[in-house]
Amino acid sequence: MAASQDTTIAAEPAMTNGSVDDGDLLVVDNLVKHFPVTRGIIFQKQIAAVKAVDGVSFRVKEGETLGIVGESGCGKSTMARCIMRLLDPTSGQLLFRGRDITHTSRANLRPVRREMMMIFQDPYASLNPRKRVGFIVGEALQVHKLGTPAEIKKRVQELLDVVGLNPEHYNRFPHEFSGGQRQRIGVARALAVNPKLIVCDEPVSALDVSVQAQILNLLKDLQKDFGLTYVFIAHDLNVVRHISDRVMVMYLGKVAELAPRTQLYTQPKHPYTAALLSAVPIPDPAVGRGRKRIVLEGDVPSPINPPSACHFHPRCPRFREGHCDVDDPPLRPFGEGHVAACHYPLERWPMTEEEIRRPRTTTVPE
Amino acid sequence: MSLLEVKDLKTYFRTDDGIVKAVDGVTFSVEKGKTLGIVGESGSGKSVTCLTIMGLNSKKNTITTGEAIWKGEDLLKMSSRRLRELRGNDVAMIFQDPMTSLNPVHTIGRQLSEAVLLHQDVSKKIARGRALELLKAVGIPRAERRIDDYPHQFSGGMRQRVMIAMALVNDPDLLVADEPTTALDVTTQAQILNLIDKLQDDFGSAVIMITHDLGVIAEIADDVVVMYAARVAEQAPVDNLFKRPAHPYTWGLLGSLPRLDVEVERLVQIPGSPPSLLNPPRGCRFHPRCPYVMGVCKTTEPPLLPVGDDASHLTACHLDQATKDAEAEKLLAGMMAESV
Repeated sequence: MAASQDTTIAAEPAMTNGSVDDGDLLVVDNLVKHFPVTRGIIFQKQIAAVKAVDGVSFRVKEGETLGIVGESGCGKSTMARCIMRLLDPTSGQLLFRGRDITHTSRANLRPVRREMMMIFQDPYASLNPRKRVGFIVGEALQVHKLGTPAEIKKRVQELLDVVGLNPEHYNRFPHEFSGGQRQRIGVARALAVNPKLIVCDEPVSALDVSVQAQILNLLKDLQKDFGLTYVFIAHDLNVVRHISDRVMVMYLGKVAELAPRTQLYTQPKHPYTAALLSAVPIPDPAVGRGRKRIVLEGDVPSPINPPSACHFHPRCPRFREGHCDVDDPPLRPFGEGHVAACHYPLERWPMTEEEIRRPRTTTVPE
Repeated sequence: MSLLEVKDLKTYFRTDDGIVKAVDGVTFSVEKGKTLGIVGESGSGKSVTCLTIMGLNSKKNTITTGEAIWKGEDLLKMSSRRLRELRGNDVAMIFQDPMTSLNPVHTIGRQLSEAVLLHQDVSKKIARGRALELLKAVGIPRAERRIDDYPHQFSGGMRQRVMIAMALVNDPDLLVADEPTTALDVTTQAQILNLIDKLQDDFGSAVIMITHDLGVIAEIADDVVVMYAARVAEQAPVDNLFKRPAHPYTWGLLGSLPRLDVEVERLVQIPGSPPSLLNPPRGCRFHPRCPYVMGVCKTTEPPLLPVGDDASHLTACHLDQATKDAEAEKLLAGMMAESV
């Protein structure tokens, strides 16, 4: 995939000089989304802000899958909604196929919306229970006036077939389907208008493992057949590894690490990535029990008042006072499009907890 | 002798649509100080099994048969008064969702001391001291201050710690944990699993761990029961299950998991979805989804039999052992070959 040749992705996207790589379908530059926290009933006064997304930059190449992982509250879903312009970013810039869509009006956004679709987490909440499957899948076609009712019906039946449902179930209601089948309807809906980009927000988290595998295989097949580009958000590192070409790890609204898949999983540089990797249970007692987990202390802090400088410093085993809590680490390159925001990147992997606690005092990338 | 012996447990629920056979003949035992993992998908009956053992099903519309022998006494035939003495004392339970299992209008400290006061004849002051001790034991920072907080002031991981503290109040011999980490993030999950492990060492309790995650099973279980559609598909010591899985459903589960340490192009998928327990398939319940289905599977229910000469490893499948070994080997080899 494109990921292995990708060397341009870096801490500073090329936005500053206005040029965009041809291969980039989506460019997100320094995206910020703050939600105001207000006090008062009539005269509302902003007293703080939830810094859900706090300066995130990345690019997505056409045809690749960018996986985004992070724990609850790290801002991954907010970012997905910003990309789709379902939320208006506080600042930053979004480029889709070279076009700035950050401040495009709703009316002008319509043709763009045809090219980017979303698959949601909960297949029970994301389908209108009072509408028939045919309507749910075909609604986008109607909105964009893509064909006569007869043509739309034919297209919907094709789509149902593509996602592995019976085209004759066109007239059924969502409650007649199981969770996995509902998620297939969600996929068919996203495919209806032939989008370029599909943002998947935890599409398999609510499903049982055997059904999860069906949906993951389906998404992979569709990508091959239709040349789709995915932004795939999940909290399950196993799932993200399986589907992604490149993976971005987020922590409290910021990018902790971004790297081609294999690099991230075999040579993580950020201690948070390492902690995540070591925390995932491996379904093989022979492998899993030999490993040492890096157990982080405490919980993810509140994004209303995040820790100073590096947001991860209060929980980090490599924390150095006077450096990590004062100086915000920039995203440093580690070659082959691998970047990580850490003053004391891991020298190798795997490491014991002892070794992680004693970083070599270097911040110079190898 | 085992701590708990469950024999041919059946739990049926009467509903308007008919009788739902939520648990249909489950047998297992739990040894002292060991961890039994029960794994299965939603609706496989794993939670109902434990609720039945704990006597927590509503009496009205439930039909329960079988035995659950706890230290010589049958839990299923016990008076509710005797059960109340046992629950929270000798046997304790941790539920999946820590938000809904704590009372939002009482402080953490009050809820913990209540558990002490119910089972021990001590003063409120001593009970509070015990509560504080437990909060510290489960790793709540600044426990002296947090003891007077309400559940909403705690994060998900901390609430689950409180639930664990509450379960441990009276040093139970058996801890039943129903998906204790499912609602939590991986780093928090690691904290909770470590905690359960450590407490098990300290208190010597046995644990029944219900989960849908084979990863969690591999990390902490000693013995495993794989459930499918209210029945046991396979049961084995944990190493045997992963080294020599002997049921097509177990193969499907193992193959359908994307793994951190292995790269595969396509996941094994089990076609279809789990059956309704109102009207389960005849014969082997897995047969409509099984790629190895034979004529006999559709008519005759396979008995739970030992795998080869290994009496501790049981499976309910009509396939012959040679085919099973060959298939299991293929599955594991497929994983290993693409391993990085």
